[in-house]
Amino acid sequence: MSEAALSIKSVDKIYEGRGKGPVHAVKNLDMDVQRGEIVALLGSSGCGKTSTLRMIAGFEEVTRGDIVLEGRRVNQMPPARRKVAMAFEGYSLYPPLTVRDNIAFALKSARTSAKDAQKSVADVARILEIEGILDRYPSSISGGEQQRASLARALVRQADLYLLDEPMGQLEPRLRAVLRGRLKSLLVDRRMTAIFVTHDQTEANALADRVAVMEGGVLQQFASQKDLRERPANLFVATFVGEPPMNVFESNVVNSDRVRFAINNGPTFDFAGGDIPPSVRTAIGRREKVVIGVRPHAVRLGVGSDDARIVSNQWLGDQSHLAMEVAGKLMVAVSHAPIPAKVGERLRFGVSASDLHVFDVGTSAALSHGLEAA
Amino acid sequence: MANLEIRSVSKEFKTGKVLDRISLAADNGEIVAVFGPSGSGKTVLLRLIAGVEQPDEGSIFLGGRDVTDQEPETRGVGMAFQNFALFPHMSAFDNVASALTAQNVPRDVIRAKVGKVAALLKIEHVLQHAPRELSNGQKQRTALARALVAEPKILLLDDPLRNVDAKLRYEMRLELPSLLKASGSTVLYVTQDYKEAMALGDRIAVLSDRDFAQVARPAEVYGSPATINVARLFGDPTINLMPVEPLASRTGPKIKIGGAELSLPAGYAHMAGKACVLGLRAENIVVADTPSPESLPVEVVAVTPLNERTLLLLRTDDGREILASEAGTNEAPRRHGPAFARFHAEAVLLFDPASGRRIDLQAA
Repeated sequence: MSEAALSIKSVDKIYEGRGKGPVHAVKNLDMDVQRGEIVALLGSSGCGKTSTLRMIAGFEEVTRGDIVLEGRRVNQMPPARRKVAMAFEGYSLYPPLTVRDNIAFALKSARTSAKDAQKSVADVARILEIEGILDRYPSSISGGEQQRASLARALVRQADLYLLDEPMGQLEPRLRAVLRGRLKSLLVDRRMTAIFVTHDQTEANALADRVAVMEGGVLQQFASQKDLRERPANLFVATFVGEPPMNVFESNVVNSDRVRFAINNGPTFDFAGGDIPPSVRTAIGRREKVVIGVRPHAVRLGVGSDDARIVSNQWLGDQSHLAMEVAGKLMVAVSHAPIPAKVGERLRFGVSASDLHVFDVGTSAALSHGLEAA
Repeated sequence: MANLEIRSVSKEFKTGKVLDRISLAADNGEIVAVFGPSGSGKTVLLRLIAGVEQPDEGSIFLGGRDVTDQEPETRGVGMAFQNFALFPHMSAFDNVASALTAQNVPRDVIRAKVGKVAALLKIEHVLQHAPRELSNGQKQRTALARALVAEPKILLLDDPLRNVDAKLRYEMRLELPSLLKASGSTVLYVTQDYKEAMALGDRIAVLSDRDFAQVARPAEVYGSPATINVARLFGDPTINLMPVEPLASRTGPKIKIGGAELSLPAGYAHMAGKACVLGLRAENIVVADTPSPESLPVEVVAVTPLNERTLLLLRTDDGREILASEAGTNEAPRRHGPAFARFHAEAVLLFDPASGRRIDLQAA
C-alpha cells in the first residue's frame, strides 16, 4: 500500500447545520489512489464529491478518519503545505496579475529559473489554447478562459497531487473534446496523479483511469469505466452510468431445468439451462424475484420470442435510439446504424445470456453480470 | 397544406436586427424543430407568431389566415415558454386544465385528458401541489402539459425541457414525438440541443445570423449541412474542419494532407486549385495500425471513450489535429503512437471559405 499517492481511510464529513440538523455529506469513505493514476469523482449535486475533494485539498476538516498523502497523515496540515496543486471554483485568479503572471506565480515561489518558468507557461498555454490571453487581466476574459487559466496555473506546478474541479465545464463542445484529449495526454506523459470532480460522465470516462461513483455521501463503486459499464456493483450505478443507462425490470424468476425471467406484466426471457452457468444460478439462488438489466447497446432487435410496440425511433447522425414499450416502461435499444422500423409497429427483441445483468430486489446489489457471478 | 407560414418577417430591437426577412412554412401536424445557438432569435420568432411581439415587416399566416395584425388571444396558438407563467393560486391540475375549463369541457373528460398528459410528463404525483411547491423541472412540465392538453392547431414550445434533469429529459425526448403527433398540432419546438432537434423534428430549421441557414430533414442537416456553421452545430464531437486545396490528377481530384494524397469524389473535380474548407465527421475516419491505400500517417495523441464509442485525437505530420470516432469501446489494444487514418471519401464535405456554403458535387 506504500505505492498509494493518496489514501482516504474511513473518512466521514458531517456539517453541523445552523438551526437545521447536521448533514452527513460523506460516509465512511475508503479510497486509494495510485501514483500516476487519474481518478474522477462522479455524481450528481449533493453526492459528496466536492466535499471529498475539498477535504483532500485541506479546505474542509475531516470529521472522522484519515487522509494520507504520500505516506503523511495530513488531516491537520494547511492546504499550502500539502504539495497539492488545485484548480477550483472559488480558488480564483489574482485580479491584479495578468494571466501569464498568475500561471507563473506558483513557479516563482518554487525557485524555478525565469527561463524555465517562461517555457513551462508557454507550453501549458499552448496545450490549453490560451496563448492569446496571457497578457490580459482575469476580469477581461471569459468564464471559459478563466477556467483554463486556472487549470494552467495548477498544471505548471510540481505537486504530488493535482485536484481539479469540473476542469472542462464551461467550454464549447469542439474545444472540450480536443482539450480533454490533450489534457489526458499531458497527465499521462508526465505521470501526474490527478483527482477531478465532475457531474458529467462523458468527461469522467474521457479523462479518468478509474471513476468513483458517489451518491448520498456513499461511494457506490470505484472502478474503470469498462467495469462500471460491464460490471455495475448495484442498480444505482447501472442506471446512472451509461448514455443511455441500462434498462432494468423487476422480474419473477423460475430456476429449474431452464432459467426463466418473467417481467411483471411483460415478456419472459427464457434460457436453456446450459446458457446460464452454474455460478450465475448459484448467485441467483432461490430468489423468486430479481431485477434484470440489459444495456441499450446489448438489446438484440428482430430476434427473440416476444415483441413490443415501438414508441420512437430516432437517428442522431451517428447512432439510433429506439424505444419500445415493455411492461409499462421504456426499453431502449441503441445501434450505430439506422434501424429500419417504424413507430407504432411491433418489433421482436431479445437478449443474450452473456448480456444479462441480475440484481437483488432488496439490496439492489448485483448478483451476476453475463456469464459470471458478481 | 401549410398550416403555419411566415413570410419575409423582420424584427429589430434597440440592440440590433434579430431576424432579417425570414420565411418558413410548416404543414398540418408537422413538428419543426427550431434550432440555433442562444441569442439567435428563436424565442423572438415564437413571440412574433404568438402575437406578443409585432414584426417590423412581413406577414404571419396561421391556418391560411393572415394574423399579422391580430391579437394573441384570437390566433388559436398554444404556448409553453421558458418562464413557466403558471397561475400561482391554482394547483398544478387546475393549471393544466385551465384551457379546457374555459372551453366548458365536461369534468370527466378534463380529468382523463389531464391524467394522460400528466402520466406522460411524469407529474401525476404533483398535480395537487401549488406551483411554488414544484421544482423548476416540474413547473416546466406543468406548463408543457397545459399547452398540450388544449390540443391547439398551432403549438409553440420554447425549450420546454430546458430545466428538466438529464435522465428525464432523455425519456421525454423519446416519448414527446408520439404525444405531439397524437395532438395533431403543428408544432414549432425551440431547442439548443442538436440531439433533441434531430430526435423530435420532422424537419429542423437552423437559425443562424438572423436567418434560417437550412430547413431540412434531420439526416440531411447532419449529412449535408448547408454551411460550415450548420455543420459545426450538429454532431458530437464537432465535425473536423481543415483548409485544403484540391488538386487535379489523372485519377480524379485529390487533396494533400500531412504528406499523403487522398482521393476525393469525382464530383469535386471543379474545385481543383481553389481554396476550400474540408469537413469530415469523426465517425467517417477509420484508424488502423497498418497503412492501406490512401491512408494518412498520424500520431494517436489520446484515446478517450465517448458513450459506447471511442474517440481518438490524431495529429498529422503537418500538425493538424483530427478527431476520429469508432463504434464500440474496445480501447484497450490501441495505445498512443503512430497509426494510419483513412477517410470515407464519399462523406467528405467541401465548403467555400468565403461564403461558408457547402460546395455541391457536380456531374462529370
